[in-house]
Amino acid sequence: MEAPEPIISLRGISRTYDMGHVTVPALREVDLDVHRGEFLAIVGPSGSGKSTMMNIVGCLDRPTEGTYRLAGTPVEELDDDGLARVRSRTIGFVFQSYNLLPRTTALENVATPLLYQGVSRAERTRRATEALERLGLGDRVTHEPSELSGGQQQRVAVARALVTDPALILADEPTGNLDQASGHEVLELLRELNRAGSTIVLITHDTEVAASAGRQVHIRDGRLSA
Amino acid sequence: MKILELIRLAFSRLRTGRLRAALTMLGVIIGVASVVALVGVGQGTTANITERLANLGTNLLTISAAGANGGASSTLTTADADALRAIDGVAGVAPETQTQATVGADGETTTTSIIGTSADYATVRAYDLWQGTFLTDTAVEQDLRVAVLGATTADDLGLDATSIGSEITIGGLPFRLIGILQPKGGAGFADPDDQVMVPIGIVHKYFVAGDGVRTIGVSVADESQMDAVQAEITSVLRTRHELAAANDDDFSIFDQAQLLETASSISGTLTMLLGGIASISLIVGGIGIMNIMLVSVRERTREIGIRKAVGARRRDILAQFLIEALTLSGLGGLIGIVLGLTVSGLIARLGGITFAFSPTTLAVAFLFSLAVGVVFGVWPARQAARLDPISALRYE
Repeated sequence: MEAPEPIISLRGISRTYDMGHVTVPALREVDLDVHRGEFLAIVGPSGSGKSTMMNIVGCLDRPTEGTYRLAGTPVEELDDDGLARVRSRTIGFVFQSYNLLPRTTALENVATPLLYQGVSRAERTRRATEALERLGLGDRVTHEPSELSGGQQQRVAVARALVTDPALILADEPTGNLDQASGHEVLELLRELNRAGSTIVLITHDTEVAASAGRQVHIRDGRLSA
Repeated sequence: MKILELIRLAFSRLRTGRLRAALTMLGVIIGVASVVALVGVGQGTTANITERLANLGTNLLTISAAGANGGASSTLTTADADALRAIDGVAGVAPETQTQATVGADGETTTTSIIGTSADYATVRAYDLWQGTFLTDTAVEQDLRVAVLGATTADDLGLDATSIGSEITIGGLPFRLIGILQPKGGAGFADPDDQVMVPIGIVHKYFVAGDGVRTIGVSVADESQMDAVQAEITSVLRTRHELAAANDDDFSIFDQAQLLETASSISGTLTMLLGGIASISLIVGGIGIMNIMLVSVRERTREIGIRKAVGARRRDILAQFLIEALTLSGLGGLIGIVLGLTVSGLIARLGGITFAFSPTTLAVAFLFSLAVGVVFGVWPARQAARLDPISALRYE
């Protein structure tokens, strides 16, 4: 039996930044496969190319060289709107600083990705409520981010990442702004989601955090090592 | 993404920043309100002028003598007037010779214009009778000493419906009062209701020597015949006055319709001018919107980054910010229309100025405010749409 196609397949990915007269390489010929149902941690200190990795994997940026297939779609050639569509359909983001819309209720925050998929209002509300309930925030739907604790905000952000039922959840230092207990909770939450079938890529500098993942790869000076 | 969703989003955004939204809209509100009010004044004035001129009698040609005020030196005579009656398309001819005299009744006196004219005068000058009868052909032919009073004159003399048939004096001579006219309101130059009408022969006999007339009013049966009748009058009068081809006319013909057209085109231009001045403030209001939208795009860079990260395309962001600008300007436009109507209603009540509003004006004012929103909203919206999601997400 042939092995199933990996959900993420990076081949020879390089990303250099053009800083006027010098070019700075941030990623050098990275190869990486992530399979469906995996929980992978990409670990590296700051300046290692971690963020660039996250931008490329998250389809927020395009590689300078190499090919990237995400859930079967070659994304390195897509234009901005094409990338937006891939993000909308395939990826759920969890950021270090939560990145919730201010002065907007938890419900509407969670429903926002569905808005850009053209889902009807009633359906958005239903699915967003469901996602919030699943993360134990059923009583916080009408709260705005400023009325929630950091841990609660990050859980709202996880709910937002989940609501589109994405093929990949991409978490960028999700515990970075949280106290230990809340951080623990969020990691446990990610593990739970992974057990329920979600593919998760976690990007962190913290080896302890990375230990939650099923597999780790290390990044240093733009190169990956197992 | 549906427009309705975006409008909903824009309104919830406006609710979170009410003061800012109100101040931003203020420019458009003032702009639209002044457009509505000033164009209302302009159109009201146009309507007013048109109505007043129509009061003077439409389809009216006024022939004036070149020279004096009637009397012996005038180039126009009652015989000329009689000759014009024969022209095809002429519905009425009213020669006028005018003088000033003291009119008295029951001890009351007033000095006013005495107009010697014919029975057609009421038709030609668009007067309606209130009481009694107007001058009859018989009275004019036989030079009977009868008089018809304008409403103001009758009022000055304390005469009313019961006075018909009584005796009044004009310049000391006894006349029988046979009719009083309905008031028709001022045409701006002189009160058309303050005058006394008597058979033209009487004026020539007792007040003004000779058979000259100051003007001859000709009413034309149908508007389409105006030019033909005017040409025919010219030819008849030139023949009668024995003018050689090289000589200029010794009379002038004045077309009421021309005056109407000129007057309404002047006030139309005035309306455009007022509207134009007011639109400048609308444009200033638009710049205010652009300013706030640009600030808003900067402030909400992170929001834009988040929206892009979770799947918003360029056009989604573009549409969101454009609809926000449109909501500001459109809402401002609606409020401005209401304010403009209110303010001009107040001015109309207090200042006695006439306003006229057509639905078209209001619709144009509203569309104009929307256009301002598009014109001044599109650039900030493009700025927002083109933001790079990575740097937008990092923006503090």
